[in-house]
Amino acid sequence: MSGGAAGIPKPLPSSGPKSLREMPHPLATSSSEEMGPALTPSPDLLLPRSVADKDLSLPNGTPVDTSSPASSSSLLNRLQLDDDLDGEAKDLFVTVDDPKKHVCTMETYITYRVTTKTTRAEFDLPEYSVRRRYQDFDWLRNKLEESQPTHLIPPLPEKFVVKGVVDRFSEEFVETRRKALDKFLKRITDHPVLSFNEHFNVFLTAKDLNAYKKQGMALLSKMGESVKYVTGGYKLRSRPLEFAAIGEYLDTFSLKLGTIDRIAQRIIKEQLEYLVELREYGPIYSTWGGLEVELSEPLEGVSACIGNCCTALEELSEDMTDDFLPVLREYMLYSESMKNVLKKRDQVQAEYEAKLEAVALKKEDRPKVPTDVEKCQDRVECFNADLKADMERWQNNKRQDFRQLLMGMADKNIQYYEKCLTAWESIIPLLQDKTETK
Amino acid sequence: MEERGNKRGGSETPLGRGARPAGRSGGDFSEESRAGSHHHPDTPPCPERAGPRGAPRPVPCGRARCACRSGLSACAQRGAEPLIAMESAEAEASESRPEEDGAVPAGDLPLPEQPAATMEDCLAKKMEITVSEAEKRTGRNAMNMQETYTAYLIETRAVESQNEGQCSPVDSLWRRYSEFELLRNYLLVTYPHIVVPPLPEKRADFVWHKLSADNMDPDFVERRRIGLENFLLRVASHPVLCQDKIFYSFLTQEGGWKEMVNETGFQLKADSRLKALNATFRVKNPDKRFTELKHYSDELQSVISHLLRVRARVADRLYGVYKVHGNYGRVFSEWSAIEKEMGDGLQSAGHHMDVYAASIDDILEEEEHYADQLKEYLFYAEALRAVCRKHELMQYDLEMAAQDLTSKKQQCEELATGTVRTFSLKGMTSKLFGQETPEQREAKIKVLEEQIQEGEEQLKSKNLEGRDFVKSAWADIERFKEQKNHDLKEALISYAVMQISMCKKGIQVWTNAKECFSKM
Repeated sequence: MSGGAAGIPKPLPSSGPKSLREMPHPLATSSSEEMGPALTPSPDLLLPRSVADKDLSLPNGTPVDTSSPASSSSLLNRLQLDDDLDGEAKDLFVTVDDPKKHVCTMETYITYRVTTKTTRAEFDLPEYSVRRRYQDFDWLRNKLEESQPTHLIPPLPEKFVVKGVVDRFSEEFVETRRKALDKFLKRITDHPVLSFNEHFNVFLTAKDLNAYKKQGMALLSKMGESVKYVTGGYKLRSRPLEFAAIGEYLDTFSLKLGTIDRIAQRIIKEQLEYLVELREYGPIYSTWGGLEVELSEPLEGVSACIGNCCTALEELSEDMTDDFLPVLREYMLYSESMKNVLKKRDQVQAEYEAKLEAVALKKEDRPKVPTDVEKCQDRVECFNADLKADMERWQNNKRQDFRQLLMGMADKNIQYYEKCLTAWESIIPLLQDKTETK
Repeated sequence: MEERGNKRGGSETPLGRGARPAGRSGGDFSEESRAGSHHHPDTPPCPERAGPRGAPRPVPCGRARCACRSGLSACAQRGAEPLIAMESAEAEASESRPEEDGAVPAGDLPLPEQPAATMEDCLAKKMEITVSEAEKRTGRNAMNMQETYTAYLIETRAVESQNEGQCSPVDSLWRRYSEFELLRNYLLVTYPHIVVPPLPEKRADFVWHKLSADNMDPDFVERRRIGLENFLLRVASHPVLCQDKIFYSFLTQEGGWKEMVNETGFQLKADSRLKALNATFRVKNPDKRFTELKHYSDELQSVISHLLRVRARVADRLYGVYKVHGNYGRVFSEWSAIEKEMGDGLQSAGHHMDVYAASIDDILEEEEHYADQLKEYLFYAEALRAVCRKHELMQYDLEMAAQDLTSKKQQCEELATGTVRTFSLKGMTSKLFGQETPEQREAKIKVLEEQIQEGEEQLKSKNLEGRDFVKSAWADIERFKEQKNHDLKEALISYAVMQISMCKKGIQVWTNAKECFSKM
């Protein structure tokens, strides 16, 4: 690993999930020294190596401070971090729960408790408990997107509730949101790069997040555009096959999800209409029972039975609305995010190609490729690597999530039918009873 | 279309619907008896009578509601009771009856015209009756215009009770719906004290959207065929009705039956609706039981109509829910195409969603039979009301006759004593225009006395008729109540069984899908 001077382009770490072990974590130990309200610009691929005044720099150019033994061992820890989603080697646990309503003069809003338990050195304490509102999550996500543009940031539940009559403060809505926010943080926690992001750290730990936010804004304006990728309108020559494939996959995937979402909604609608009719149907048997003598009990029994089925159906529809649909929508947002990241990647590659071409055109007889182009090339390759890694992780997560989601859907339907079955089976003896005594 | 005459089946073929226990003792009706379509070996099967979507036509006797089963059990177990009651009541000649206002207390009760059949004699026991086919026909109607109608094949076969091995020949003839109606109208007029079994609906009613309201629709025709068979079996197992000659001829004599019915002149005996309505409003002292029964039948009609209407809507909605799931099948299939590991699981789960969506068709078709069972009792309510109306009519008649008699007696008395008790036009005119001569008065008195005597005899017989009617009607009503309770209970049980089956299918399908999902 060389220092800051431009040299021959480094051999790139191979793409693929394995590379993660070798991949540096952008959050260098420098951040552990600079924890707290003071904002450090996120160390990322953009910082030229020369800026980092350290002996060591990781392949992607991030400076590494090995002066403190703790940091290097923790770095090693991170490098050896098991990508396994089951989290046997997990050292960071985050939960979102306990929603509370806050009524102020200006507005009313909900906050959630975010609890952190960790053994990581980046955290001063082993446990934290803070309260955050949706705005804060939104801020975090934006920050992550800015600071980790090569990575796929998990989606947040939708900010605004478009559908007319939904009550923002209803128990179901809040609970659905809570689950989504919990998932959001857990996905970040599971991510070997994102979980070390300093904004994430602050989010989890800071008592006064707003103060931090304000500082961030100030610094940002000083920094100018350097934190962001400059995506000029470069035209992409040829997209590598794998990314083209991912793009196509995502397009079809989103389409199919959209269809499934519509079907699920339609089913819920039909079920509710069916429920309306059932609610009228059941009591008629009861009315009839009132007319009869011997048939009175059987008819009442049937009426009650239908009532039970109504309750079961209502529960099924609620479950589908509260648990099934939101996860579908989440994945649709995820796909959108992914597509945006793909576009950014394309831009980075395009920029690189443009610069490369410019150099070729100049036909200069330089033995070395200009630093500028080198940097671009690195950028492209790191982006590709990050993206591929994230894509794999995303695919795995997606498979697990959908497996769980669809099995859950099947389960709920099974439970519905079981409830109805119990109801009907229990009245058979009632119906047959008198017949036998005859 | 071909006309088919009476078939003298020389073949040994049984009625062709698979194992059908002779005499229909209410034993097990296995699945086998449901399978297969009927046809005589020497005639081509009628294309019109294929079951819905080519499914094997369900056999009425396989169902709990089968008239013969209930009829028989009513016959065998309970049918005897009212009959015995009737017979024993006849023996109690001097049993006193509650007085009805203005009516003369009855003396000995006369025997009914013919003894009701005991359970052994019920036609249903002696003869197997089926409506086995339905066929579209075209012909010319009374106004010489072309019309299309459906004809139904009635097959009958004597039951060989001793020799199970032998099969007697099958007789058959074709009848159309209007002839069934004629038969029923005849029975209604001839046996006003009997709750006459109803016919299946003439036009499709209470349909949910998928079902056709078209009379020519094969499903409708099929259900009507079953309903007509049910009607015949009900009549054949009724202790009184089964002995009717016209009914017997309906089953056995194709030619000249209509003429025979019309010759009975029953249309003339029918009470006009206006007369009946009049009686309903004006009768003073009907038997309370009939009034209550009328109320009951009104309410029963109302509640069953409501039930059937809403059931149709429920069926509609349920259909929608199931069918939309079919879309999952398609989208899972499309989605599986872009997935690697998830693909197989998705694909096979999608297949189960298709199965789920398709299952609703059979489920709802079965439910139609439940609806038909309810409909029968909806129409039965009408028959109940008819009996009540007849009572009111007779009672009204009786009251009018009694009233008439009383007034004549009074007139007679007035003339005899010369006193004017009540205001009468005669009295006034005689006052205004002078008294009559004693001879005139005598003549008048004599006429009146004759009329009074006639009137008293008439009143006596009317009274007897009335009592007779009440007794026999009430006996049949009790029989009917038992039948109704039994049948409806069976219907509810079969409905519950249907629901249970539907739930189990649902659990099965979703469990299969879940397993596919787990392999994703």
